[in-house]
Parts: sequence; C-alpha cells; structure tokens
Amino acid sequence: MIWQQLANGLAIGSVYALIALGLTMVYGVLRILHIAHAGIYALGAYIGLLAFRFVPNFWFSLVVAMAACSLAGILVKRYLYMPLLTLPRIVPLIASIGLFIAMEEIFRIVAGPYVLSFPADPGLGSLQLGIVKITNNQLLVFLVTCILLAVLWFIMSKTKLGLAMKATSQDLEIASVMGIDTERIIAANFLIGSAMAGAAGVLVGVYFNSVYPTMGSIPAYKALAIIVLGGLGSIPGTVLGGLLIGVGETLLLGMTDIPFPRDALAFIIMILILMFRPYGLLGKE
Amino acid sequence: MTLLQVKSLTKDFGGLRALEDVTFHLEEGEILGIIGPNGAGKTTLFNIISGVLRPTRGEIVFRGIPVHRLRPHQIAMAGIARTFQIVRPFNNFTVLKNVLVALGHRFYPRLLSSVSPFEVRDHVEAAHEILRRVGMDAYKDSIAKNLPLGLKKHLEIARALALEPKLLLLDEPMAGLQHGEAERLAALIRQLRQEGITIILIEHNVQVVMDLCERIVVLDHGVKIAEGLPEEIRTDPRVIEAYLGTGGEVAQG
Amino acid sequence: MFGGYTLTVAINIGIYIILAISLNVITGYAGQISLGHAAFWGIGAYCSALLATKAGLPFWVVLPLTIALTTLIGSLLAIPCLRVREDFLAITTIGINFVVQAVFLYVPFFGGAMGIGGIQAPFGMSSFFWITWGFVLLCVVLDRWLVRSWIGLALESIREDETAAAISGIDVVKFKVLAFAIGSGLAGLAGHLYAYFMTFISADDFGFPQSIVILSMIVFGGIGTLRGPVLGAIILGLAPELFRPIMEYRTLIYGALLIFMMRFQPGGILGEESLILRTFRGVRQRA
Ligand SMILES: Nc1ncnc2c1ncn2[C@@H]1O[C@H](COP(=O)(O)OP(=O)(O)OP(=O)(O)O)[C@@H](O)[C@H]1O
Ligand SMILES: [Mg+2]
Repeated sequence: MIWQQLANGLAIGSVYALIALGLTMVYGVLRILHIAHAGIYALGAYIGLLAFRFVPNFWFSLVVAMAACSLAGILVKRYLYMPLLTLPRIVPLIASIGLFIAMEEIFRIVAGPYVLSFPADPGLGSLQLGIVKITNNQLLVFLVTCILLAVLWFIMSKTKLGLAMKATSQDLEIASVMGIDTERIIAANFLIGSAMAGAAGVLVGVYFNSVYPTMGSIPAYKALAIIVLGGLGSIPGTVLGGLLIGVGETLLLGMTDIPFPRDALAFIIMILILMFRPYGLLGKE
Repeated sequence: MTLLQVKSLTKDFGGLRALEDVTFHLEEGEILGIIGPNGAGKTTLFNIISGVLRPTRGEIVFRGIPVHRLRPHQIAMAGIARTFQIVRPFNNFTVLKNVLVALGHRFYPRLLSSVSPFEVRDHVEAAHEILRRVGMDAYKDSIAKNLPLGLKKHLEIARALALEPKLLLLDEPMAGLQHGEAERLAALIRQLRQEGITIILIEHNVQVVMDLCERIVVLDHGVKIAEGLPEEIRTDPRVIEAYLGTGGEVAQG
Repeated sequence: MFGGYTLTVAINIGIYIILAISLNVITGYAGQISLGHAAFWGIGAYCSALLATKAGLPFWVVLPLTIALTTLIGSLLAIPCLRVREDFLAITTIGINFVVQAVFLYVPFFGGAMGIGGIQAPFGMSSFFWITWGFVLLCVVLDRWLVRSWIGLALESIREDETAAAISGIDVVKFKVLAFAIGSGLAGLAGHLYAYFMTFISADDFGFPQSIVILSMIVFGGIGTLRGPVLGAIILGLAPELFRPIMEYRTLIYGALLIFMMRFQPGGILGEESLILRTFRGVRQRA
C-alpha cells in the first residue's frame, strides 16, 4: 500500500518538478517570479490535445506542445518581461499575474469552460514490480520526466550553452562582461523552461485524462513553494523539492485520516523552512 | 577619556576571515584614520561597530557600555552614526526628508511621539540647520538620487549628524570625488572635529589620512599590522610592504 | 435615496477602498510586498461572523473585538514575514493566504465548506451604506495622518532602504510589525463590514485571487500614495459592473488591464510619474 502511494506520489512529484523547473530557471536569470509560467503549462495541455485530435499519437502531441510552449515563452520574455526589468520587482510580478489571468480566460473563451478528455495511450502497458503496480500512465510520466531531465542535465553540464546559462544565473552582469550574449541565454532559459512546462501540461492532461482552463491555478502557486524549498534558482534543488512535495502530499493524504488540505501542505512546509532558512533549503544569501 | 574600545574583534564570512583579533581604542575628540589595501576588512569593521553585522568574537565598548550585541538602531541612538562607502541616501526622498528621517530618532521609540506629524516648522527648521552645517541648504528640495556624488556624500553626513552623534564613522568619503569636492569635504571633516565630534575615517588616499588624522590604524587581510602617529605609519616597514602588495604573508606570519 | 443595486455596489466599493488603504500601509508605505491580504480580510470576517453567531454579540461590540483580534493575528503572522525579503516575502504571503484559507475550509469550527451564515446586521441597507462610507472617510483621515507622522516617515524609509533606515535610528522590526498590525486591523474592519453585509461568508471569498484584486487596486491607482488606492478601488470595483454587458470577457479585460498598466504606466494612473499626473501638472504650470 505504502509503495503504491509512493509510486503515485512520485508521478505527481515528477510533474511538479517539470513545472517548477522553468520557474526556477527564469528566476535564476531574471529574478522574476514568473507566475504566467503556469499558464504556459496549461497552454501545453491544450495545444497537445489539439495536436492529438489531428494526429492521435501521444509523442507527436508532446513534441508539438513543447515547441508551441517554447515559442510562447520566448514571446512572453521578449514583449512582457524585458521592458520591465529595470522597474521595481512588484511590476513584472503583477504583469505576470495579469498575463496568467488573461491566459486562463482565453482558454475558457476559446475551448469552453468544460473539462476536456485527453485519451492518449502511448502504448507502454503497465508494469508489475512485486506488489506495486505501475500503471500505464505512471510509467509514461516517469519515462518522459526521466528523458527530459536527462536532456536537461546533458545541456547544463556538457554543453557550452549550459555553462553560459550557469554563469548567467550566477551573475548576469559578470557573465555579460565575460562576453556571454546574455540576451540569448535568457531566451534559452525561457525556451527550455517553457518546453518543460508544456511537456508537464500534456503529461498531466493524459495522466488525469482531463484538460481545463484553470488547471494551472494550483500548480502556479505550488510551484512557487517548491522553488523556494529548492532555493530559488537551483535546478537540482527544484527537482528534489518537487518530488518531496508530491510524495509528501500523497502519503499524508493516503496514509492518515486527517482531512488535510492537500494544496496547503506545500506552503506549510515552505513557511516552516523559511523560518529557519530565510533563503530556502539550498539557497545562499 | 576613552570613547570606544574595540577588543579582539574577529569576523568570519563562511571560510573567509575578514577580521582577526583586531584591538584598538579611540579617545574622545580625535580623528582616527583606518587604512589598508582593498579587502582588508575596513568596511566590515564599520559594519560591526554600527551593528549591521554581528562579530564572530570580540567586544565593542562605547562610553563604557558593551554595544556589540545591540541592533543598528540602538547603536544609532547610543550616539554612533555612519556613512556608506557606496552611498545610500534615501534615493526618492528630498534632501530635507533624508535628514528628517534621522532627526526622527527622538520620536520613533515612543508611540505617543511617533504619531505626531514630522513636517512641522520646528523639525524642518532643525533639518535646515543641519543642512546649513554641511553647506547643502540650497539643495533641500532636490531629490537625492539626482544629486552628484559629492553632494550625496555630504547628504549622508548630514543624515548622520541629525542623530547628534558622539562618534561618526566615515567610510571613504573622498573616494570618487573631484579635487574641489574633496577639498570641501576635508574642510567639513575638520569643522566637525572642531564641533567636538569624534571621527573614524576610512580612506584609501594616504595623503588625506595623514593630513586629517591624529592617529592611524593599518589593517591588512583582517589583521591590524600597525598603529601610531602619521609619521610613524609613513615609515613603518610593514605598512610599506602591505601597500607594495607583498605584505599579506608577512603580516600574517 | 438610491436603489438597492446602487447601494450594493456602493457598499462593496466602500469595503474595497478600506481594503486597498489597509494593504497600501503594508505594501505601499512600508514596501513589504503582500500577496495574501485577503487572508487578513478573511480573518476579520470570520472573527465577526463567529462573534456574532456563536457568541451572539451585537454589531458594535463585535467591531472593536474583531479589529483587536485581527491586529493581533496580523502582527503574529508578520513574524514569518520579518525573516524574509522581497520575493521570498511575496511567496510567504501567498503561502499564508493558502494556509489561512485551508484552515477556514477544513477546521469544522469555522463551518467547513458551508461557511458561516445568519450574520444579521441590526439595520437596513441604507444605514449600512452610511456606516460603511463613514468608515471609509475615517480610514482616509487615518491614512492621511499616518503618512504625515513619524511612523509614516519610518515606514517609507524602510521601503527605500532598510539598512539606511536602521542606522538612522529606526527599529525596522518594530515598524514592520506595526505596518502589518495597522494593515491587518483595517482589513479586519473591512472583514467585519463584509460579513454583516453578506450575512453569509465562506472560505472561497478570501482566496488568493481576491488578494490579487486588492493588490491590483493599489497598483492600478498608484502604489504608496493615498489617492491611488482609493481611486483604484473605485475603478476596479466599478469595472465588473461596467463590464456586465460583456460579462464573458470581464476577467480577460481585467487581466489585460493589469498587463497594460504594468507595461505602460507602472506607477499607476495617479502615481508620481504617471501620465495623468504629469499632464495635469503641466496644465497647472502653464495656467
Ligand atoms: N557580507 C559579506 N559576506 C561575505 N564576505 C564579505 C562580506 N562583506 C565583506 N566580505 C569580504 O570580507 C573581506 C573584507 O571586505 P571589506 O569590504 O571589509 O574590505 P575593505 O577593507 O572595506 O575593502 P575596500 O577598500 O575595497 O573597501 C573581503 O574579502 C570581502 O569580500
Ligand atoms: Mg570598504
């Protein structure tokens, strides 16, 4: 039973991690809390579903969604955030919230307020590990997350781009003095982060077989708690935070009788941790 | 009379020891110069004296009272005021309002006085008086961020004076100033001393320090390597070595 | 004097003005970004609702109790906020909003998903209107007096530069807590009025989206000024009514408005460097 819960929790946690990654990457370079990122995630689900209706293949819709979200991310960066960088931090934050609200509304107006089903079957089959049954969909989430994280790891640690991205997130000014084209690096962060969010959107859509306009609301804010846990801007910390919250929520909900507010848990943990470490679990001053 | 005693002050930043066992004292009415190469720990020393940072070890006694555990505003109230190496006026306030903030130190502690209005004649007049002292009354309505660097530094001193300090800590007031501006500031420092304010002056320009200060403390890599009259310091071999850039190891060894 | 509909809208806007003024103390004057102000509002509403229904106390007795309680709780909730700055503070306040809302929703004492109903005001709608706007006036006067006092100066200097404020003799911790205390006390007042006005409240009324609405009001009008929050609350409070014919696009317009404002008038329509204010000053100077 506990192992089954663990599998469920890990699946949810992987998705949290994918969403939060983009948030943390954007924060790393621009120091902006990119709330609209959750809108990009929902956009991914919708675009994926749309693609799926044309070509009923999971992998096709995944790729299309990721591509569309990357583009959306770049546009947001270019036309919303870049002009606001020199202003007080609250300005881009509110602009981001405004964009998120507007995106949710556009989804509702265009696709209707209903829950749409996303009946993709990647044809992986289920897996019996001892007493734990990993469902088709869980397997899918794990597989896609692992592939994406591996690709991300490769980019970050083995390529010049990754090196430049790290340098830029350490200190934008120094990086630009060192001759790094920081504009491009920031764009790369948005591109990769948004692609991850798009993938997460498709995965969640398929996993719960549902796509709806406000599906980004809860992840939007929970992802904030997660990146704080991970120490704003840290990629490994964020993955860890996502998995921890996913597993923690599921176990607490599945194993105890307390009628616990699932969505508040992440914030309770976060506030407690911030009390002792005001700059996050892995964060530095 | 001894105004300030710094005893065995040590400050660690993670693995970096910014100050190591620094001890010196300050007599009422004097100007003490602190010099040392970049990264010697001079600003860190000010940050600790003014309560912005806590020391790792050591004590600071001001007018017979230990102050190293107090918070910055308590230290300000006790009579220690400071300026910043990288100026920090309240950028969006007028010059006058900048001074008023510090004048308010008498009113902030008690609820009853802190609810009274601040822009009344008496307070504004007192702020003017201070601005006149530093020669800035013509700029009272300028927004701080629009001032040239020299005036921002004067403004920081004005804000510090509004605390009616016994001790004034000036962190590289001349740095980045043009010749004329620096001259005016030096004159101001002399004038403040005449008024009976004790001053610790951090300064890179050795000539300025030699001219203004009665006594000098030399820091290098967080260690006090020399202390004495300007003449002694000028000829001290350790100081010369430190400034030639080979002194680090010698001083620590 | 007015019709029922007009009264309802006017009372709602009055409550919003009080909320906007209260958040402006925390975020506008003291510079502490709060994205969870609806939590304080909710705490006030629940205090009043419980005192009115469970303890059976009358309106004018509940009022001071609620303000006292919210002030106290607000100061306590400020403690986690003291440890963190800027973005961490923003996220912490979101967290507080979610946690407070979850408590209302999951702790049976607060009525759970059903909320609390049957809160009866001892007077009719038009008296309620006058009382609400009386409090609005009181808040405006209070706010005006606050910015002109040493407290206001201390709060603004903390917003400008905490370290510089501290070395100028300002007890940063004390004044931040004070800002949260005043802000949540006034939000408690708004909650009190809201609970009696609605007669029924539930956790949903005080969610994070409401916090954004309140924040938008002060940002829209001009953060850190007195006129800004009042005007922002009036305009954004009226907006849903004006947009009623295009109900479908109401929230979309709202979101777009936020983006547009931030992009082109980040200081708010009546902020220090706003277009309207500059034009107005220009006209006055030429005249
Ligand atoms: N808040 C801090 N955290 C970590 N390290 C610090 C901090 N403040 C200072 N340091 C380090 O402590 C050392 C001493 O710095 P400090 O600023 O005191 O030097 P300084 O003598 O004022 O130098 P300068 O002449 O350049 O102003 C430096 O190595 C600096 O990097
Ligand atoms: Mg220095």
